[in-house]
Amino acid sequence: MITLITGGSGSGKSAYAEDTLLSFGEGERIYIATMYPFDEESHRRIERHRNMRREKHFTTIERYINLKELTVPKDSYVLLECMSNLVANEMYQEGGAGKDTVPAVLEGIFALDRQAKELCIVTNEIFSDGIPYEEETERYQKYLGEINQALGRVAARVVEVVYGIPLVLKEN
Amino acid sequence: MILIIGGMFQGKKEYVRSRFGLEARDMADGSVCSYEELFRCRGIFHFHEWIRRMLRENRDLTNLAGRLEKENPQILIISNELGYGVVPVDSFDREYREATGRICTRIARSADSVHRVVCGIGTVIKDA
Repeated sequence: MITLITGGSGSGKSAYAEDTLLSFGEGERIYIATMYPFDEESHRRIERHRNMRREKHFTTIERYINLKELTVPKDSYVLLECMSNLVANEMYQEGGAGKDTVPAVLEGIFALDRQAKELCIVTNEIFSDGIPYEEETERYQKYLGEINQALGRVAARVVEVVYGIPLVLKEN
Repeated sequence: MILIIGGMFQGKKEYVRSRFGLEARDMADGSVCSYEELFRCRGIFHFHEWIRRMLRENRDLTNLAGRLEKENPQILIISNELGYGVVPVDSFDREYREATGRICTRIARSADSVHRVVCGIGTVIKDA
């Protein structure tokens, strides 16, 4: 089953996603990290998330592109963080899916969902600042928006986290 | 503590006036007030601007929510809800938007109630 967790920047999505995964009970917990550490700031961000997970017994897999060929233990509890990085990686990294990013990412998610018992996906709201961006950035927003919509349709549960407070948008 | 959030121009101050009877003139304005005023005022609007100015002054805001809880537990805080756009190119803008999120998340955790105002309509998203 898929749980989709969305929200703005610094809204407490990660902490909520981790708590959600823990709430499923004991089992093998896999954390798929999609942020490519390209500068000091991303290293700090990754470190912050690592500290949050330390006590929670997650196995971390770093995966920047090509989710569909990733194998996770059968019936594990999987947390994928985060969709905004994965989409950027697929669009811009060498070997990424480029203009086929939307179907490639969705195919990868569905492959993971077939293996995992529970799959939590953290995504991001980057659509509401009303600022016109360059064509390339708007293409990125479009791809992420399309993926969010597709995930919202198949997810059993969709939650928007607002400053640590979960607002349930969909519950099957 | 009471936390009121929402995008800009959504009627947050008007919501506070009608719901809590607190006028803007009785509140501190985060875009001009001092650091210390936050710990004395009955309410503050433009709280995100206060955070932005204090970061510019290199103030340490690490335990801000904890100090507020102790020294001004009756405060009503109005803040813009940030972080719903593309990650800013400027590193200070990124820091500011992230800090506002973390601080408001921490305040929301201790707050008696949290209200989110959209199109002038407030929704209570937490009521302890």
